[in-house]
Amino acid sequence: MHPAGAAAAGTPRQRKWPSKRRIPVSPPGMADPHQLFDDTSSAQSRGFGAQRGPGGLGYPAAAASPQEAFLADPVSNMAMAYGSSLAAQGKELVDKNIDRFIPVTKLKYYFAVDTMYVGKKLGLLFFPYLHQDWEVQYQQDTPVAPRFDINAPDLYIPAMAFITYILVAGLALGTQDRFSPDLLGLQASSALAWLTLEVLAILLSLYLLTVNTDLTTIDLVAFLGYKYVGMIGGVLMGLLFGKVGYYLVLGWCCVSIFVFMIRTLRLKILAEAAAQGVPVRGARNQLRMYLTMAVAAAQPLLMYWLTFHLVR
Amino acid sequence: MAFTLYSLLQAALLCVNAIAVLHEERFLKNIGWGTDQGIGGFGEEPGIKSQLTNLIRSVRTVMRGKKKNEWNTLKF
Repeated sequence: MHPAGAAAAGTPRQRKWPSKRRIPVSPPGMADPHQLFDDTSSAQSRGFGAQRGPGGLGYPAAAASPQEAFLADPVSNMAMAYGSSLAAQGKELVDKNIDRFIPVTKLKYYFAVDTMYVGKKLGLLFFPYLHQDWEVQYQQDTPVAPRFDINAPDLYIPAMAFITYILVAGLALGTQDRFSPDLLGLQASSALAWLTLEVLAILLSLYLLTVNTDLTTIDLVAFLGYKYVGMIGGVLMGLLFGKVGYYLVLGWCCVSIFVFMIRTLRLKILAEAAAQGVPVRGARNQLRMYLTMAVAAAQPLLMYWLTFHLVR
Repeated sequence: MAFTLYSLLQAALLCVNAIAVLHEERFLKNIGWGTDQGIGGFGEEPGIKSQLTNLIRSVRTVMRGKKKNEWNTLKF
């Protein structure tokens, strides 16, 4: 395995977007750079196997006899073997074809999170003003898993926040005696429809402005899903403290999400020149700046639109 | 409030249909968005207008499928 370069300026290849910052040495705790999840299976099975050896000898003779009597019958033996081979075939077929419809391996990257990452990311979503370095770290051309880099997008927080938003909406409607079960489905459908519309609009704008970016669709869904966290905070405060609390917390979360989106998207969309902080003149960069501002401005608007009817 | 996934699907379907039934000679050429007007050279920036014309042309080609050549010939 070739070692990761110390500085990205060392690579002679022509790049369209800024040189990716590479980790000079493997950070502590990361055994294999491409491994997303810790592998604890071998340690556990070894421990349990040693335990069960001497202590389990007394058991199998007594407990297994009724099962053994059932399995001793050759027909049922054959039937079990046939059934298990059918199941294995079915599983193989599904595993082979699932990657065609849902990119499972790509999705696994977005769920490789741990508690520390979630805590720090939530803190960043509510208070992004002091964070200095917003660039995602790379390790040999693949982005580092979210658990090792706080700037990497993940899908765990947006998914959990979406579900919590639906539940909190149900709670809010319930306290106002306006609840009925189909309203939950309506809320979920409405929020998903707005999310889909946002993603499509941004993809269309990126295509029309011919922006060369490594922002994937799933990345976009992740970034646009972060606003649900602020929405939950606002509605909960609105439940506890009425309209004043709702407007205060929602205003704070709107400004935070605005700043967060601008700082994150600036590195992805305005990659070439403006990432270093220098404002560049020129029609192309100006249009891209407008796009970033529009995306960031749409977040507070949607946050208000999706929650104001829940707080009375 | 009644903005559901189904209404989004309906809107998308109607938009795609609208793009597919646009008559090139009557409308697009008058605006200057016809498919044979000014594709442009291999300059650096395609520009928004040429991207839009390409998009409209691609959607129409995909929607029309393979049967465009058979419209004028009757097959029995």
